Amino acid sequence: MNKEERYDIVIIGAGHNGTTTAAYLAKCGLSVCLLEERPECGGAQETCEPIAGVRIQPHAIANYGGSAPGWEQLELWKYGFRMDWKAGAIVPFNTDRYMTTTDGLSKVTDKDKMGYAKITGLLTDPPFFKDLMRATFWCPPHPPHVELNENTIPFMQVYKQHQPDMWTRELLEWTMFDLMDEYLDTEPFKVNQAWIALVSGAHGHMEGAAIPALCSVATVMPPAVAMPVAPRGNIHGYYHALLRCAIAHGAVVRTCCPVEEIIIEHDRAVGVRLRDDATWGAKKIWANKAVISAVHIKPTFLEMIGPRHLDSGFLQRIKDLSLKGGSLYMTHYLTRERLRVRPKFQTPGYRYEDYGSFTGPFFPNDSRELYFENVTEVMGHQRNLTIPPERAMYGMVASETYAECHPQSTRPGVYINGPQWMLVPTPEYNVDGMDAMEDKVKWNEYMRKALSQVVENLDSDNIIQILGESPREQEFRNTGMLGGSWYGLRCDRDQWWNERPLPELARYRVPGIDGLYLSHQSSAHPGGLCLMAVGYNLMHILIEDGIAEPGDWWYASPWYIPEEGKISAIPNRPSSVSTR
Amino acid sequence: MTTDDIFGHMFQEFPENSEWDVVIIGAGPNGLMAAAYLAKAGLKVALVERRYEIGGGLATEEILYPCYSSNPHVIYHMMVDYMPVIKDFNLDGPSLLWIKPNAQTAMVFEDGKSLLLTQMIEDTKDSISKFSFKDAVNFGKVMRSWRRIVDEIVAPATYVPTMTPIEMSMALQKTKVGQEMLELIEQSPLDIINNTFENDRVRALMLYASCMWGLDPRETGIGFFVPLLLDRGMNKCYCYGGSHKFASAMGREIIKAGGLILEHAEVSKIIMQNRRAVGVELAEGRTLRSKVVMSTLDPHTTFLDLVGAQHMDKDFKALIDGWKYDKWSFYTLHVASEEPPRYKCDDPWINDAFMTIFGIESTEQLLAHWDNVVAGKIGANFGGHATCETLHDPHLSDKPSKHISFFQMHAPYEIQGGWEKKAKEMEEAVLAKWQKAAPNMKRENIIMTVHETPVDIETRFPNMRRGGIKHGDYKPIQLGSFRPNQECSSTKTPIEGLYVCGASTYPGGLVLGGPGYLGANKVAEDLGVKKWWKTTPEMDRYIKTYLT
Ligand SMILES: Cc1cc2nc3c(=O)[nH]c(=O)nc-3n(C[C@H](O)[C@H](O)[C@H](O)COP(=O)(O)OP(=O)(O)OC[C@H]3O[C@@H](n4cnc5c(N)ncnc54)[C@H](O)[C@@H]3O)c2cc1C
Ligand SMILES: Cc1cc2nc3c(=O)[nH]c(=O)nc-3n(C[C@H](O)[C@H](O)[C@H](O)COP(=O)(O)OP(=O)(O)OC[C@H]3O[C@@H](n4cnc5c(N)ncnc54)[C@H](O)[C@@H]3O)c2cc1C
Repeated sequence: MNKEERYDIVIIGAGHNGTTTAAYLAKCGLSVCLLEERPECGGAQETCEPIAGVRIQPHAIANYGGSAPGWEQLELWKYGFRMDWKAGAIVPFNTDRYMTTTDGLSKVTDKDKMGYAKITGLLTDPPFFKDLMRATFWCPPHPPHVELNENTIPFMQVYKQHQPDMWTRELLEWTMFDLMDEYLDTEPFKVNQAWIALVSGAHGHMEGAAIPALCSVATVMPPAVAMPVAPRGNIHGYYHALLRCAIAHGAVVRTCCPVEEIIIEHDRAVGVRLRDDATWGAKKIWANKAVISAVHIKPTFLEMIGPRHLDSGFLQRIKDLSLKGGSLYMTHYLTRERLRVRPKFQTPGYRYEDYGSFTGPFFPNDSRELYFENVTEVMGHQRNLTIPPERAMYGMVASETYAECHPQSTRPGVYINGPQWMLVPTPEYNVDGMDAMEDKVKWNEYMRKALSQVVENLDSDNIIQILGESPREQEFRNTGMLGGSWYGLRCDRDQWWNERPLPELARYRVPGIDGLYLSHQSSAHPGGLCLMAVGYNLMHILIEDGIAEPGDWWYASPWYIPEEGKISAIPNRPSSVSTR
Repeated sequence: MTTDDIFGHMFQEFPENSEWDVVIIGAGPNGLMAAAYLAKAGLKVALVERRYEIGGGLATEEILYPCYSSNPHVIYHMMVDYMPVIKDFNLDGPSLLWIKPNAQTAMVFEDGKSLLLTQMIEDTKDSISKFSFKDAVNFGKVMRSWRRIVDEIVAPATYVPTMTPIEMSMALQKTKVGQEMLELIEQSPLDIINNTFENDRVRALMLYASCMWGLDPRETGIGFFVPLLLDRGMNKCYCYGGSHKFASAMGREIIKAGGLILEHAEVSKIIMQNRRAVGVELAEGRTLRSKVVMSTLDPHTTFLDLVGAQHMDKDFKALIDGWKYDKWSFYTLHVASEEPPRYKCDDPWINDAFMTIFGIESTEQLLAHWDNVVAGKIGANFGGHATCETLHDPHLSDKPSKHISFFQMHAPYEIQGGWEKKAKEMEEAVLAKWQKAAPNMKRENIIMTVHETPVDIETRFPNMRRGGIKHGDYKPIQLGSFRPNQECSSTKTPIEGLYVCGASTYPGGLVLGGPGYLGANKVAEDLGVKKWWKTTPEMDRYIKTYLT
């Protein structure tokens, strides 16, 4: 049998965020052990080949993280990171763009484009786009002593500096629709942006969510510019580079090692205990400096720490954290022919194949009333969708537009299309029960009908197979996706930035338990998406606590405010790298 | 307008052109091993893989999508006891766990009788004695002597450069064990088994176990494979967490040693300059230049597609053209079920067995089935082997307490009627046969099925041409110093700077740990790099006894 092991840092969960954290800390020279429950690392950052020659991405698809400091700091290129630019949303500014509505196409006007360019920081010279993104996602929440207002909130500072005419107090109160009504023109374009925000991490219709929601869209696909959205080797290819960065810096990675308990002695997290079926012989692994939970916040507190160390009031608040709003039903279609858009949605001179996978149809963008009807279906009624598929909103990746040299399907005469994704009720709260959406034949048909509003040849002659995946299945595959939530927890203002997941946990520390830190989408700002953001933000805190001492490669967020009495994460040298 | 115009340079990507000491094509077990040894030796190594994931045959994938993973290719690891890579990289313990069940290979018959090969010879004898006491005694005797052949000769020789047949027979004359082996070489598997055992069911099991990886039962000159495959067939290991964990563990060694792994990077060309291989070009356009290029692909892909016939002389091209792919491939049906298969038979251990053969009632039927396969048919007389993976590994199922199994059988690449049509029909036939052997494998128990045909194997891995699991047939003129041909069996090829070290190079296919290891040794020697690893004591003994 193996002896017990000891590391500086033990990280639970090798998903995107646990691995980013491992890479950062290993690069600081710390000894790091990364423990993963499944046989394969990656969490929701996965690619698979369920049918010979047919590759799909069951969870994450697009690289939203283009502005991350991690590209420079972790030097992912060294570990083979490459983009598939063909699949990027490269749509030149001067191309005519249209939005799909039930009546056909709605043209995106110049006012839309210019307004959008302005609010996302593309009109200044130099543009402040990247600063805006970094301020929103790549900065730890401020310490409690800092008052949050239009002068301190990072994205507000960015507007104040670069686009002062936009900088108003109301920006902090606005919904995304308020913001868009101010600067954009056509309703379908606004609805489209709000819906993409909704499935990209922010409920833009909530007051105060305007800028985070806008940034959640802009970070993946500003409507008029190229974005690094599709990594080569798909989303798991991005993950490989991250994991290898951690390994190259000495991190020890163990798969098939589910953690059952976080060992706490004298109010300090000192190690973890593994479940009996773990590969690893010794069932305890000790941490000298920190245990970092990069798994869902609910099992972290409710199961791995438990009532022995926590009071019931706190546990109740953890139980009450809402999983709503992030559950997606995902379908891929294996077809004999390429999908064809109905004539009424065909744009003159514009072909999806030419302009990247992430410009596939989003439908229908008619009006904000329809948007609200869809949102209420999912979040209000808490039962299976009753909205007719003709009016259901969804997004679709045109996967035939990946680079020809590595098509998603190498099966002769066969195309893989998708995923098509639709927001659906969270199984945990479905009044008809957790398994209410498990009739997949029915839901696959619902999805097919919805997509058929735009696509004309999605019929039984063309379809060879539909690969559907329910939120419940996503939760089984990856326990980090409780409720199938791709965002971990509800993503509105109450669970964002200084309030995510709870105000006292917002700085990644756990009051009352030393040496324990949080680094999962559900437990940390900015939440979901593969942004290398939680790890970067957490670095500031670990530097403050004297755990991480990074080398010259490190730079802190320019909007970061150190906590009083702690070591500042801002290096004692002139910042060698600017933020853009 | 591009991203750069708007944002400035977004972030750095892997460069368009780069320089390496060694570029290795294909991250199957052999490519991974070669890369791990050479990277740790201090060379700048890039391992380039076409798929989105490393591993080649070492795959564990969610093919019962969603929620159920399986090992669509390698599952039975037969050389764990001998592979130098295991010891050299400490791959038995914390990073990788091997499970070797005692109940190894079972055969169940329609009348409810069964046979079981176990790791413990005595247990196997007990089982055989149900059919023939004489065979049981013979089995004990023969296996003890065959195990010596494997231990002293065949296994260590797997990791030592090959010899010509004449050198080989001279060397083997030196010892009694060697002489025994020489006698076996001359016989066909069928002869060996018929001469050793009297009971037909015992013969059928032994024949299946020794020829299932592609030996022609009636061919002479390959008899030494019988002791190897029977002995190893009784010592198969399962890689806990799935076979891909073996690949991941080697991948980590490569990265730790400073090597690079590029996935989703199909090599479209081996770059030739002044008659030398000087690097590779990827389908996406990037180039990686290197002192040495090692290919683990099949000979046609390496030489005809990637190098190009114009860079070879006529005789050498003729050798490559003459390469023959495997005579059969596999058809596999993967199943997710509520319960594991429960076989109707007289031995409770069968339900724990690592591999269970059913559908085969006699040697005659087995031979007729194989003859059919070679002729491009599958008749009603087919049989095959099944494994319930979750018996050994709960991690494969994301849903608790569900089970994942597969049935696998020999199958032709080109089938009458075509696989498009035949695959689904076969599924019904297999399930019917399975249910006969294991009554609980009925529709209510089955959650999901998916099949993989020989064409599917080739679709996943174009280098497994015609579904060839060993990248080329096992016949005397494609084995030993003839694998892939006399010019290349040392792993060095007549093309300066180009080495071959996949399953089509000596010692051959399956996860033997041989070609990649030998390739690494050769390249280290040719580049004058100090080897950090030592030969194993078994290899030393073999070299001392037979090669000096
Ligand atoms: C359908 C869908 C679509 C998405 N689309 C996108 C997209 O296009 N772009 C994008 O950037 N993001 C997308 N996301 C979101 C993104 O995938 C996630 O936000 C991100 O992967 C979460 O990473 P994480 O590390 O926080 O959590 P996880 O990925 O959940 O990682 C947690 C890890 O911990 C492991 N684990 C759990 N319990 C234990 C235990 N007890 N012991 C040890 N290990 C354990 C899990 O197996 C898992 O590997 C999508 C997600 C979904 C579901
Ligand atoms: C169904 C099935 C079951 C099997 N079961 C077993 C078993 O139980 N036990 C056992 O020991 N063996 C088994 N095998 C055999 C085993 O998988 C192979 O013999 C072994 O994987 C060969 O290893 P390799 O490294 O030489 O090549 P491979 O494993 O074939 O790896 C070659 C790699 O090269 C890549 N590649 C191909 N073309 C290119 C290109 N142009 N550029 C870059 N990369 C490229 C491929 O994607 C692949 O990853 C099985 C095979 C099959 C098909």
